[in-house]
Amino acid sequence: MTQDARVQDFVASFELLRAEVEKVIVGHRDVINHVLTGMFAGGHVLLEGVPGLGKTLLIKTLAEGLELSFSRIQFTPDLMPADIIGTNIIVEDADGRKHFQFQQGPIFAHILLADEINRATPKTQSALLEGMQEASVTVGGVSRPLPGPFFVLATQNPIEMEGTYPLPEAQLDRFLLKLRVRYPAIEELNAIIDRTTQAHAVTVNRVMSGAKVMAFRELIREVPIAAHVRDMASTIVMATHPLWEHAPETTRRFVRYGASPRGAQALVLAAKVRALAEGRFNVSVEDLRALAAPALRHRIILNFEGEAEGIDVDNLVGQIVESAEAVAVRSKDAFLR
Amino acid sequence: MANPETLDRLVRRVAAQVRRRRIEHYALKGAFWASLVSVLLLIFKQPLGALALPLAVAVFVAGALSGALWGALRRTPGADAARLADRAWALEDRVATALECAARPERTPMIESLIADAVARVEQLEARMAARRVIPRDGRFLPIPLALAVVLALAPPVPLPSGRLPDFSASAGEEPTETRADSPLMDDKAKPLAKDKLKSPSFEERDVATRAGGTGGPMSGDLSAIFKDTSLSSQRPDFQSFLKKGDERLKMLEQADRLPDLQSDFTASQYKMVYKKSKALTSGLRPDISPQKLKELLEEMERLGRKGGANWQGDAAEGMEAMEGGQTDRAMEAMQRALDKMRAQDEAGRSGKNLKGGRESSRSGANSRDRRGGGEGGGPEDQDFGEGEGLLPGKGRSNSPKGEATGRLRASPYDVGVEGETRRGRKEGYDTNLTGRGGQMGSRLQYLGVIGQYRKMMEDAISRESVPRDFHSQIKDYFQALDER
Repeated sequence: MTQDARVQDFVASFELLRAEVEKVIVGHRDVINHVLTGMFAGGHVLLEGVPGLGKTLLIKTLAEGLELSFSRIQFTPDLMPADIIGTNIIVEDADGRKHFQFQQGPIFAHILLADEINRATPKTQSALLEGMQEASVTVGGVSRPLPGPFFVLATQNPIEMEGTYPLPEAQLDRFLLKLRVRYPAIEELNAIIDRTTQAHAVTVNRVMSGAKVMAFRELIREVPIAAHVRDMASTIVMATHPLWEHAPETTRRFVRYGASPRGAQALVLAAKVRALAEGRFNVSVEDLRALAAPALRHRIILNFEGEAEGIDVDNLVGQIVESAEAVAVRSKDAFLR
Repeated sequence: MANPETLDRLVRRVAAQVRRRRIEHYALKGAFWASLVSVLLLIFKQPLGALALPLAVAVFVAGALSGALWGALRRTPGADAARLADRAWALEDRVATALECAARPERTPMIESLIADAVARVEQLEARMAARRVIPRDGRFLPIPLALAVVLALAPPVPLPSGRLPDFSASAGEEPTETRADSPLMDDKAKPLAKDKLKSPSFEERDVATRAGGTGGPMSGDLSAIFKDTSLSSQRPDFQSFLKKGDERLKMLEQADRLPDLQSDFTASQYKMVYKKSKALTSGLRPDISPQKLKELLEEMERLGRKGGANWQGDAAEGMEAMEGGQTDRAMEAMQRALDKMRAQDEAGRSGKNLKGGRESSRSGANSRDRRGGGEGGGPEDQDFGEGEGLLPGKGRSNSPKGEATGRLRASPYDVGVEGETRRGRKEGYDTNLTGRGGQMGSRLQYLGVIGQYRKMMEDAISRESVPRDFHSQIKDYFQALDER
């Protein structure tokens, strides 16, 4: 298969999978696109929104559209790490000898839905860390690989909701993208009512295998990025740091910690997926602009003043991108801007 | 393998467009500054002669050309031009990425696809300008110096100030020496002020009348003529009389509320206007004198006299009768008499003895109202006190009401005192000077029982605290006055 054909296949598969999800999920086109982007980029996605907006349904539908194993963990305050990872249990064999046997937890699945992840204690939340980063878990001194592709889709309620624990920054950083699920528009709400209150059920077809997902992940990494686009990505990430010399005033004033290098990786990888999904063979500045907020919003830690002022991180990221573009063209003369 | 030649061509085309825009930009910039120099040259057209215009044109052209040359020589990097092309044709960084990747030694299938895709898109592009025109800020003002230069070129040479210094040599002494008395400077000072020129004839006449009792007109060369104070200039300096007069003036200043109200416009009074009109008619200043106007004036005078109860009413009425009888001369005489009486009344009103300011008149009006309203006292307020006497309670000789405030309340329209009431319940202190029901009650503390303690405390305080010595006697007098009461 030629490269063009592979790219066309990716574009078609992307569209097909999105169409399957959209059979169930009304609206939220950006959220669906970004969830697929996260999956093809090989990262994990965190969805944030108030209960009832269809976060869990979206992920379940996606899992139904893929020929992959799926498990769901409902996070509760009394959930223990072993409930996620698994544990060694004593079993008795035919000879009557007892020995430990590893009982796999729900993390051993291709697609893991960590529902309401911030309702569990930080200790339990952290049980996912190794699996998300290394695609393996260690129990009893034995490291056990997770099946590939491994893809965590977590949902969380806004921190302001009662009975929630904020996710540790280290774990937040493991998520490639953080998506905000917002209320649907009235037309979308009408469509939701029509779809969900009628007798006939919608059937989601399995349109993509795990092997194909893995192949697409490799293809995505081949997408070239020009030096000036890469520089722009670096500038955007650096501009989230209050101590950087060219950081905008808002960053200096409201940000305590900026994005890590993992943020830059996430930004570029997600941009590559977006470019390829549009049938383009290169990353553009527009891709970075579109994905800056999902890739960076959970990596920017506001300081006290920023929290007190109620600064919206998305707006902040928008200003950061603008300032990064200004930095990029600062050295150019007026004719080349 | 895809050939990026098309992309290179596009980039070269865009770079050429950028160069063209730069040439325009810097040519405008250079032309502006050169036009300023040209204007300067044209201002000096007179000394430069026929050379000025060609020189100005040459400078202008040279400035524009050098700017254009500067713009043409500036380099445009290929990557920047490629990015500009991407933005101009919405190619989403395809050209820049493709050119950059094409320069790499290894080309992956994805890069080949990228180049092929970019070339295909570029071949479909329509030719248009990618580089935008940037007009320099100073270039926007180019028409101003250009227009100025054209005007200067067409106009006659601008007269320039000569660089010669004024001649301060000895020949300057030949100029006629002016005496101090008749120097223009002194003449200027001696001239009456512009305000004096505008004075009405009546004021001029009054000035003359005032000085009639003086020692005579100013002598030529006399410094007193400058100051117009002929009555004082002939007298010997008398310091004692000055002190006396000065003292009177100071006293007058102390009674500031009796000074005339200088803010009111005396010239605008009806009497004055009639007087002016009459004088204008009788003195022939207005040649268009007619019996009708004379009659109107007499009517006006008669009306004013009737309104103000003045003594010229009869003369005005007589004049009107004469006019009706066709005796213009008699009417003129009657009007002259009425004018004399009007003027005499005006003089009396403005003389120093009867000067009354607006505040004074209003106060006297208020006093009369007080008396009509049955207010207590209200005697002469202008009686002098002995030094410090008026400040002490009970020491003054003023007949103004004293004592209980309630009695004076609303006695005067200026008295805005508020009638109060004592609060209910037990009070810690004693009440005094009450105007409500509490005013009828006795003091809680026996006055004579505590006054001694207070006096002792006062004496202690005077000796202990830093009370100015001048105030000691006043404080003691105050307590003495309390004792007497």
